[in-house]
Amino acid sequence: MIGSLADLLRRAWRHPSGRWGTLVLLLLALASLLLPPFLADPAAMPDVVAGATPPSAAHPFGTDPLNRDILARLVTGGRISLAIAGLAVLVSLTIGTLVGLAAGYAGGWIDALVMRLVDAALAVPRLFVLLLLLVVWERIPLGALILVLGTTGWFATSRLVRGEVLRLRREPFVEASAALGARPWRTIARHLLPNAAGPVLVAATLGVGDVILLEAGLSFLGLGVQLPTPSWGGMVLEARPLLVSAPWTALFPGGAIVATVLGVNLVGDALQAALDPRSA
Amino acid sequence: MTRWLVGRTAQAAATFAVAILLLFVLMRIAPGDPLSRLVGDRGFSAEEIAALKARFGLDQPLTAQFRTFLAGAFRGDLGVSIEHYPERVTGLLASRLPATLLLGGTVLLLNFTLGVWLGVRQAVRRGSRFDRWTTRLALAGYATPSFWLGLVLVAFLSLRWRLFPAGQMSDPLLTADAGALERALDLLHHLVLPAATLSLTSIALTMRHQRAALLAVFRQDYVTAARARGLPERRVLWNHAWRNTLMPMITLLGLWLPILVSGSVFVEAVFNWPGLGSLAASAIAARDYPVLLGTAMLVSGAVILGGLLADIGYALVDPRARPA
Amino acid sequence: MLPQRMLVAALLLVPVPGAQGPQGTGDHGALVFIMGQEPASPVPTALQSSKANADISDLLFLRLARPGPGLSVADEKTFEPQLARSWRRRDSLTLVFELDPRAKWHDGTPVTARDVVWTFDRTRAPGADPQRALLLRYLASATAETDRRVVLTFRRAYSAQFFDATYHVQPLPAHLVDSIPIGRFAASQFVRQPVGNGPYRWVRREPGRLVELAADPAFFLGAPKLDRVVVLVARDPEAQINLLLDGTADAYEAIPPVWGPPRIPRNSPIRLLAAPSFSVAYLLFNQRAYGDRSKPHPVLSDPAVRRAVTLAIDRATLVRSTFGAYAQIAEAPVAGPQWTSSLVPKGPPFDPAAARALLRERGWADRDGDGTLDKDGVPLALRLNLPSTSAPRLTIAPQVQEQLRHVGIRIDIVRLDGPVWAERRNKGEFDIDFSSATLDPSPSGIVQSWTCAGRSGSNVGQYCNPAVDSLLDRAIYSTRRGDAEWRAAYAALQRDYPAVFLASSSSVFAIHSRFRGVTLRPESYYADIWRWSVDPARRIARDGGGARGR
Repeated sequence: MIGSLADLLRRAWRHPSGRWGTLVLLLLALASLLLPPFLADPAAMPDVVAGATPPSAAHPFGTDPLNRDILARLVTGGRISLAIAGLAVLVSLTIGTLVGLAAGYAGGWIDALVMRLVDAALAVPRLFVLLLLLVVWERIPLGALILVLGTTGWFATSRLVRGEVLRLRREPFVEASAALGARPWRTIARHLLPNAAGPVLVAATLGVGDVILLEAGLSFLGLGVQLPTPSWGGMVLEARPLLVSAPWTALFPGGAIVATVLGVNLVGDALQAALDPRSA
Repeated sequence: MTRWLVGRTAQAAATFAVAILLLFVLMRIAPGDPLSRLVGDRGFSAEEIAALKARFGLDQPLTAQFRTFLAGAFRGDLGVSIEHYPERVTGLLASRLPATLLLGGTVLLLNFTLGVWLGVRQAVRRGSRFDRWTTRLALAGYATPSFWLGLVLVAFLSLRWRLFPAGQMSDPLLTADAGALERALDLLHHLVLPAATLSLTSIALTMRHQRAALLAVFRQDYVTAARARGLPERRVLWNHAWRNTLMPMITLLGLWLPILVSGSVFVEAVFNWPGLGSLAASAIAARDYPVLLGTAMLVSGAVILGGLLADIGYALVDPRARPA
Repeated sequence: MLPQRMLVAALLLVPVPGAQGPQGTGDHGALVFIMGQEPASPVPTALQSSKANADISDLLFLRLARPGPGLSVADEKTFEPQLARSWRRRDSLTLVFELDPRAKWHDGTPVTARDVVWTFDRTRAPGADPQRALLLRYLASATAETDRRVVLTFRRAYSAQFFDATYHVQPLPAHLVDSIPIGRFAASQFVRQPVGNGPYRWVRREPGRLVELAADPAFFLGAPKLDRVVVLVARDPEAQINLLLDGTADAYEAIPPVWGPPRIPRNSPIRLLAAPSFSVAYLLFNQRAYGDRSKPHPVLSDPAVRRAVTLAIDRATLVRSTFGAYAQIAEAPVAGPQWTSSLVPKGPPFDPAAARALLRERGWADRDGDGTLDKDGVPLALRLNLPSTSAPRLTIAPQVQEQLRHVGIRIDIVRLDGPVWAERRNKGEFDIDFSSATLDPSPSGIVQSWTCAGRSGSNVGQYCNPAVDSLLDRAIYSTRRGDAEWRAAYAALQRDYPAVFLASSSSVFAIHSRFRGVTLRPESYYADIWRWSVDPARRIARDGGGARGR
């Protein structure tokens, strides 16, 4: 049905969304890689009494209420937000794929049980699960935050992978390799994984956007990344009182979230279109 | 049909039971003792604390705890709020539900009218500049954190230009002699910004789904047949094509509710909208575990119920949809 | 007669410029003010004494008498009659109060000597209210001689005796509450629907949202001019200002001093006043282990570490960046308007080099190179708790964190909602607590939080030094003014570094300009609202009586 992954990527690149999204993400990545040596210490508060100062040559995005350089904090916070999102999605992707493969391949009551559990887990909005966990778990370390975000995000992926497995199992080439006496895990590895990779990649890309938003929201509620580590959501929270008198303090971190998530979603959109060209 | 209905309902009930179990386990494995927050100088005596602990069954083994908890939940007893002691959690949830239903209902209505209409237009003019730009704008809205958009709208529309109130659901003093019309207008005035925030950040979902569903239908033979019969394009679009996307769109509800509820936590917190979302947000701040758990249970129940209703609706219209 | 003690220079009752017209006629008006905390238990005695609760209970429940303008706490002649119409002394130990016969509870029952005596007894009962009991420890007895006459007998003669007799206890209606056991009081129906005797009576509370009070037209000191008072609860500092700016609320007492004023547009009807306050902000060290009072704190029980932390914090910058011109550096738990504030010796300077040297001397060094000092494998990391409802504290905390990072101390900021923060504070679940105390008008209140005897009550840091206790005792219970005694006591307290004292600040109080006759009492800003009125020409819809303008 679908060709190789490279083919998928090529078709996604041809989609205008794909190019725009990649461009945005590339710019953000370049900024976060190349800028740091030229930026002020994101934690330094020179002359706090000056408060938030508007954008200037020394501080292109202005300074925050404690006179810290906003651009420097955006870059540091962005690296952390992206790392959290990337790693969390990796965790949920791994769990989701394994569970989906196992359930789909095993079938029968194992499949039924696992999928009922997944249904139930999907019924509880992820935000609430995270809230329940994080409220009690104060000052959560970054690693634990990633794990918590990852382990609460795999349900939909497992369902997707299971569906793919069920579909592919009926394909002649899989049945043939089973008939030839291939071991189940070998069949999965050789045939199912590469074929399920497309939809999983789309889900993962969109998942990264979701996790960035989720993490920003949690930090906005004071539950995510802990002070003094900068995070985009936390920066919006700190800038709240100054939205009218010093708008740059909140507009830049918010804009950074929108740009990043939009970039990721555009790429996801293009991938989706490449998977199913007729809906584009 | 009846057998399918019973089966599907039982399945939903089982799902809900498992969801409750998951939430319960979650509460127990999280580090920290939720009830330790009751101690302190809120004027609780030792005997009152003991009574509260007994209600939560913290002195019993885990299985017994779950049974007590479940029995309580079935009686509609979710315990006592810590923050608003001695209010009961169920009472608090009930008092906050109408505001959330109003906000959520408004947003659903907006998205399933405006969003659907936009999606239809996009599918019809597929590949046009309109299609591309509405898609980009909707995706940008979807990428915007609702709390941030809410803050920006408040800063400009309420604080700078004073067009809308910055928060709350009604003028707190508008109770004594205000007429029904005045009250309704006041409510509407307060509703505009939160509803707009929530809708702008989520309308992409309905729009994109409507567009995809319609494009899929356009490829079907009966649409081609209708066109071949020379029916006016308008009638083909709405009576033949669009009508057949209706049901898949309804099943979206199951996907929709969790997103709506999660978004409402932030939007209600930003606008001080007295609904379940702001109740949850303040319960987070107050470490009010029973309230948070109760809200999560209620929301999960709503999500499962939404899925069930969507399935039933679907099955009523299209018997083939009933899974074996 | 006791010698007269003289007091604060500042003008303590603040009139609003240009707002003191003739008193209105045909009085109508509604005041909506904002509170950052929920007044969940607005009843004095035996309850969490949050400022929110106190502000509401001061409108519902009167005291026997209250300090007059100037807040001269030692001169009983300057006190204003409240429930007591008059008072006299039998001797230096015995005070006789005559209750005002017009005083009535909101259920119509007269206020009697029995109510007063019952409340004094309940306050001092074991387990009821240790904080107030401590302040009344030299009260020997309260007795009712007749229905209207209360006699208070003290064990000691001292200058603030009359203040202690009148300030700490607000009588409750004995006929409604005497059957409620101490342990059940907090959850009782009375706390949910209090019946008081003040200018306003309880109407309703919507949890998490608002409290509504209504004027008692039969209030014996005069009918209140504002007939409705609504208290909006808004935890979020942002919502507090928004409610004011969009016209939903009329008053708010804690506009953030630096960021707040620029946000109020020039054409806004909101006026800002600097209102003297008795609040003092400080970083309180926990002398005992986190959450475990049986063990000393592994790090902070060493006074040298406490001194090093103090030296490493640039208090002048903190205060200036956060409070602007509205605060001065505090050097002890003493507020600007208290008469002893001029007696406090100067505290330690900002000297990070000395802080580093001191820590090195005590064996703290960065052995693992992570930027945080350590000793015996334990890093010098401390948890700083603060309430997320306080805008100034939210801006100070990251600065403290950053300043201490420079000397190798790691601070983990734990932001908590008001009630949770208060609970942790009371349970000792903190290393450093970012406290802000609202002090009594009398400096004698210091015993609650800074003496060994206060450890069962509000001395949550468990600081205890008997030498300081006896110096304080000598200062408070001296029959003279006692300047030298106070100076010595404050100096001894400072030498122990029980806290980093930060600021004694004024509040920036915001009020809609249609209100007239606005006076703010520093110990309870809203206590006199029953005398405020709305300019009839500027009434708005919610004021009733026909709106005429905005």
